[in-house]
Amino acid sequence: MDFRPSPAQQILTTTARAFLRQHCPPQLVQRLALDERGFDEALWRRMAELGWPGLLIPSDLGGSDGSLLDVILLVEEMGRAGLPGPFVASAVVATSLVLAAGSPAQQKRLLPALAAGERIASLALVEESGSFDLDAVALACTVPGRLGGRKLFVKDAHIADDLVVAVRVGATLSLVVVPTDRPGIARLPLDAISGEKLFEVTFDRVEVRPDDLLGAVGGGGALLVPALRAGSLARTAEMVGGAQRVLELAVEHAKTRVQGGRPIGGYQAIQHSCADLVRDVDAARALLYAAAWKDAEGRAAEADAALAKAYAGEACLAVARRGHQIFGAISYCEEHPLHLLHKRIQAASLDFGDAQLHLETVARAIGLEGRP
Amino acid sequence: MNFDFTEAEQAFADEVRRFIRANPPDTFAVDGMDAGYGSGANSRAFMKALAAQGWLSMCWPKAFGGREQPMFMKLVLMEELALAGAPFGPLAGVWQTADAIIELGTERLRRDVLPAIARGEATFWQGYSEPDAGSDLLALKTEARRDGDHYVIRGHKIWSSHAGIASHGLVFARTSRETRKSRGFSMFVVANGTPGMDIRPIRSMTGEVYHHEVFLDDVRVSADVMLGPPGDGFQALLNGLDADRFWGRFYKAPALARVLGQLVDYANTTTVGGAPLARDPFVRRRLAAIAADIAALRLIFYRAGCLIRDGAPLTYQTAMAKVYADETGQKLARLGMDLLGIWGPLREGSRWAKLGGQISHLYQTTLGHTIAGGTAEILRTSVAVRGLGLSAEPKAPVETKAP
Repeated sequence: MDFRPSPAQQILTTTARAFLRQHCPPQLVQRLALDERGFDEALWRRMAELGWPGLLIPSDLGGSDGSLLDVILLVEEMGRAGLPGPFVASAVVATSLVLAAGSPAQQKRLLPALAAGERIASLALVEESGSFDLDAVALACTVPGRLGGRKLFVKDAHIADDLVVAVRVGATLSLVVVPTDRPGIARLPLDAISGEKLFEVTFDRVEVRPDDLLGAVGGGGALLVPALRAGSLARTAEMVGGAQRVLELAVEHAKTRVQGGRPIGGYQAIQHSCADLVRDVDAARALLYAAAWKDAEGRAAEADAALAKAYAGEACLAVARRGHQIFGAISYCEEHPLHLLHKRIQAASLDFGDAQLHLETVARAIGLEGRP
Repeated sequence: MNFDFTEAEQAFADEVRRFIRANPPDTFAVDGMDAGYGSGANSRAFMKALAAQGWLSMCWPKAFGGREQPMFMKLVLMEELALAGAPFGPLAGVWQTADAIIELGTERLRRDVLPAIARGEATFWQGYSEPDAGSDLLALKTEARRDGDHYVIRGHKIWSSHAGIASHGLVFARTSRETRKSRGFSMFVVANGTPGMDIRPIRSMTGEVYHHEVFLDDVRVSADVMLGPPGDGFQALLNGLDADRFWGRFYKAPALARVLGQLVDYANTTTVGGAPLARDPFVRRRLAAIAADIAALRLIFYRAGCLIRDGAPLTYQTAMAKVYADETGQKLARLGMDLLGIWGPLREGSRWAKLGGQISHLYQTTLGHTIAGGTAEILRTSVAVRGLGLSAEPKAPVETKAP
């Protein structure tokens, strides 16, 4: 057993940390959260120059042959910096789907551009049920034919060039990939406390062509399960990175904030709070790495990923909430970075399934019979 | 990263499983109460069976009769034993004592005690706490006075687990008065039955005896049963406590996983209000959430195990891991009592007891785990001070009385 990232992975994370410290300071995160568009194209291009959006893509298609574990370690650093943007939706989830099921033409058209950061893709899955359960997908579509209806909580739809849309073709779950400039597609912003850019996407008699189909008719479920797992693990990494940053900030504050003649970290009430932050971050990270490693090794990792996501959702959110208590009033201010990290963790805990959904996966894995 | 066992480790795990199948744990006579930590009851017969496999001394240097197996093999063994519910109660303490004797012990301790350990005949009680020295261990009053080639120990120890059925006590005593408060302490390996030693049982809230208090009334021991350099026992003790937190709790995750499996079976086979308990969404979620805790706990301990294996420095890891282990155990015991409802409090052996009455036992014993071996409060402070670099709270001024 070995919990340490490989030397190459360590280089990836130290490079990412230094890069994000320079190019993604809390002030930028704050500005992007408040800005309606909230996307820094120059930063995205720099990230593309580092090869990040192409990490999962093979080198012959313009990528850098990384593994999901590499991606997880990178996203942990992004979470630590609070980096906003479409990385997980585009470079992890949509990219995984195109890699797994794209026709040679689709792969050639999309993957080099995704790897170069020239195209951005997102996933349109959730509907009015608000559920990531695949059984809840109802949006009907014929191929070839027309698509009419709506999807909700589509991340970064405003800057996406392509949407992978989960649809029902007949009774079966299928995927189509459509460019966002196709007539009939409208993107209506939702306004979330996290500052993440989420959209309702409406489809008004949108033309769907045979070559828009991603994978076979009826193949959507088998494709989405691993892609959502990758997205879920990436969001977990974001939570772990964010919680790690909260821990660092809280401990630094506890060492420097003086009340009653000594640093507040000299009081056991604060010490014990900080000790619990360490446990929460360490435990969430351990589950994350074990699940991501297993997934990257090609083993069955459904239950491990579900455990990791459900656990981090609770633990990292507890870290953020306790962080406010350690910081006191200052952390209630908009200009203070804590609330951004907190709200990012909160958003990530819901994306690709909340704790309830993942705990049900765990419940089946530990042998509980039946369904609720 | 790699979360697999090596081939050798996996082969050993298989070997241990075969041993357990051939030697069912419930066929071994039990001498002392299972304190719920996960290492099962105290069973001399089981310790001898482990000894017969050569497993008690497998990691020792060849010069001491060992096979120089890597330390990770001990983790593999403990995990398999705990998953099987085997009664290996004294094992972790025995290994720690053996390691200390190999590292620091006198010729006499190496000659007399190590072979007894390897044969599964020696087990140890810890003589650390005293009535007025619990979390503040340095307030202890037991003294060992030098008398020629001997020491004469006088004092009163308490909360010593299984002292009444062990072979030796590890007695921590003051051997000199020094200006630095943490100096002047030494450790002695004292054979049970030495004249002047009076071991009395303390009946616990479970109704059984686990702890003892030990009166040491001028117990005369040879100077060469001192473990470690004279006067420098405190650092050795602290290192020992660090190890204690790791070795004394490593098997908790697999032991809790075993209990969780029993609760899952119970939920699957029990009908409440006309519906299987397993279909209750709240029950499903609580069991699943604690499965996540247990999985995290296992990894936290293996991570600490990797640091120990690699000789990397430990600051907060074992203290944090112990608190997490003990609080997870309490959480599982509470959940178990909730699931069992009105049947939960029935004891082992009672008519109508569910799951052998073991949940009521676990519910009581786990209560002591956040107190024993360093309270959760002391350990959280240790995580904050040693791990995060927060400054220690100033000690309150105390009136000191002349001895």
